Amino acid sequence: MEKGRNIGLARAKARSTAKAATVFLLPALILIAIFIVYPVFDTFAISGFKWNGISADRIYNGLGNWKELLHDEMFWKSFEHNLIVMVCSILLQIPIGMLLATFLDAGGKKFNFFKIIWFLPYLMSSVAIAFLFVYALATNGGLISSLATIINGKRTTIDLLGKAPNALYTIIGVMAWQFTPFYMVYFIAGYGNIDTTIYEAAIIDGATRGQYLRHIAIPLLGPIFKTACTMSLIGSLKYFDMIWNMTQGGPAGTTELMATYMYKLSFQQFNMGYGSTVAAGMFILITAIALLFNKVFKVKEDY
Amino acid sequence: MKKRVLAILCSSVLAVSMLAGCGSAASNAPASAKTETKTETQTTEATDTSAPAKQTDGKNLPVLTTEPLTITLWDISTEEPNKSIAEAAVARFTADYPNITVNQVHQQNDTYKQQLIVAMSSGQCPNIYGHWGGGPMAEYYKSGHANDITEMYAKYDHPEYVDAAVAQSTFDGKMLAIPYSGLTGCDIFYNKTIFAELGLEVPTTIDELEAVCETLKANGIIPFTLANASKWTGSMYYMYLVARHSGNAEFDAAYTQENGGTFTSPAFIYAGEKIQEWVKKGYFPDGVNSLSADDNQDRALLYDGSAAMMLHGSWQVGGIKADNEEWYNENISVFRFPEDSEAKAAGVPQNVEIGTAIGMGMSFNCFKEDGSVDQELLDACYVLATQYFNDDTYNAAQVAAGTVPSIKGFNENIEDPNNKYIIDEFFKASNVQLWYDQYLPASVTEVHKNCMTELFGLEKTPKEIGEEQDAAMKKALAE
Repeated sequence: MEKGRNIGLARAKARSTAKAATVFLLPALILIAIFIVYPVFDTFAISGFKWNGISADRIYNGLGNWKELLHDEMFWKSFEHNLIVMVCSILLQIPIGMLLATFLDAGGKKFNFFKIIWFLPYLMSSVAIAFLFVYALATNGGLISSLATIINGKRTTIDLLGKAPNALYTIIGVMAWQFTPFYMVYFIAGYGNIDTTIYEAAIIDGATRGQYLRHIAIPLLGPIFKTACTMSLIGSLKYFDMIWNMTQGGPAGTTELMATYMYKLSFQQFNMGYGSTVAAGMFILITAIALLFNKVFKVKEDY
Repeated sequence: MKKRVLAILCSSVLAVSMLAGCGSAASNAPASAKTETKTETQTTEATDTSAPAKQTDGKNLPVLTTEPLTITLWDISTEEPNKSIAEAAVARFTADYPNITVNQVHQQNDTYKQQLIVAMSSGQCPNIYGHWGGGPMAEYYKSGHANDITEMYAKYDHPEYVDAAVAQSTFDGKMLAIPYSGLTGCDIFYNKTIFAELGLEVPTTIDELEAVCETLKANGIIPFTLANASKWTGSMYYMYLVARHSGNAEFDAAYTQENGGTFTSPAFIYAGEKIQEWVKKGYFPDGVNSLSADDNQDRALLYDGSAAMMLHGSWQVGGIKADNEEWYNENISVFRFPEDSEAKAAGVPQNVEIGTAIGMGMSFNCFKEDGSVDQELLDACYVLATQYFNDDTYNAAQVAAGTVPSIKGFNENIEDPNNKYIIDEFFKASNVQLWYDQYLPASVTEVHKNCMTELFGLEKTPKEIGEEQDAAMKKALAE
């Protein structure tokens, strides 16, 4: 009797939790459905049309746009740039973020000042960062060129944004400046999650600080690494705002990314149909790469 | 694992949600259009029907409805003095026609074209909208968002626009826009103090120009300041060299791609080679492709005396004056792009000017649900655009602000000597070539602009960029 009532209570509790969850999740679900799920489907739908974006009639084009996409040099070049950005971002942002986090973790409270300073770039909007760096890197009166002029004693220009391949790597550098702080904080949180008893046990067993880091802390951060990499990967593949404000894909398409290409097609060249095909193509590529990444790098979730 | 797949799917969905936004323009456009930074001038009061004298009285114009009517108008006059000039025109109109409400929205220039596309695609196209003519105007018309006003223009009163302005408001023989913002010429601004110090004369031929450049170089001064990150800036050199070498003939032929017309014809090769020769000789600043005209980095080189000349649009007069009028008066003068003496000897006209004769034009989008023309609304729009914009008060204010309306007679009485020179050249021109980046179809514009980067960056040969532009042009024509 007693037992039965307990089960009843548990069930009632589960039921009311489910109800509450539904009520609380519904607004978000509706918004996601309207602004994310529906647009994704609609993007795929539009990708089958020849449409300039403003005309009332869309001409059905079947797989014509998709065939064009497969042979579109510019798209694959943009994709290649995306891949370069992706690899470089992961190789730069995550290790540096990790190093900074390790440093801050070891220092504890007395390094709070650095924590704040280093986190600042991430708080700035991408557009502001873009303008900041455009001015700093300007060949006329910019920080770098002015410094070079002083050192060299005569007018010297260092052209970081106006030439290939400098421009792409400059942008990767600026992106790293912007996003590294995020991964830093992420890893600080990761370190914070490691039970102090593990540290104590390691020290009692005679491990040095370095050994603890190498053999215990870092392996324990594995899942965090993986999530960080996935985030960085997706972030670099969809990147748009800062690059748009810095180079608009120039000079001559050498910093064109899939997103900027898609935007140009859709909104500047009256080619919404094909622009949507590019967007849909991006969706497929990003999902595929992210899934592949997850398959290849299997990390045990817990310890 | 399943959870993780789901998580990744979700995050990729988030990733494309931004792009999907474009595909589904229809779903979120109305919201974005409404939340724009806008100023609405709504003047509905004044039921005072006894006010008889309208400024349109006695003119040959359509009779406007006395029923309530609402017109939505988009312009890009977000800044003074244009903002008050445009708002005053609307205020005069609504004072004369109190039954008509005008919803005037000032859009930001930078995103204006995109805003228009979004509005049109979602059925929220304003009744009157300003634009720069050229390829996009044709696109708006073909998509059914611009009324053909050829007949009305012939039938009713309107300002006497200069021929080039009418030509630029016309597509396929149909009048599609009413100009309202004035002429823009393109000429070489130069620092007359530097020229005087070095004993340089204003060059009249390209050979003389090159001699001037050599002297400037020898004295450690950059001949031309150019901010080619903007690309349309470098295009000005390309356009002028093509125009001086072949008039309009080769560009017009290349535009149609018929009868052997191509962007690799002699004038284009000549222009490309000249530019690359000048780049190699150091006639342009280092890092020319990373200097941007948006923040006037070209002007900056002129200001500190590092460069002596700048080929640019006539809006620079107002810009430089606003920065430092005294310096402008002391140092800046202007000359037209020098002539190609060889081409001249061969009979090529040397007075084709680059620029725009309309600045911006207003097109009308007055259609009923079933797609037929909403004549009542169109009449009101026509009267507003031709009689209140473009009236004496409006034009006087434009002139005071340094803009010359593209209406006959306005080349008189210009005070600023440089402006006067530019406008005189403009009125003397046998033909005005609209900027390529406005004139070409939008997809070709993109290619053309990239080609300008590659040309000035010495990354491709004139022939290669010609072929690229040909390919883009052929593709655009086929559509």
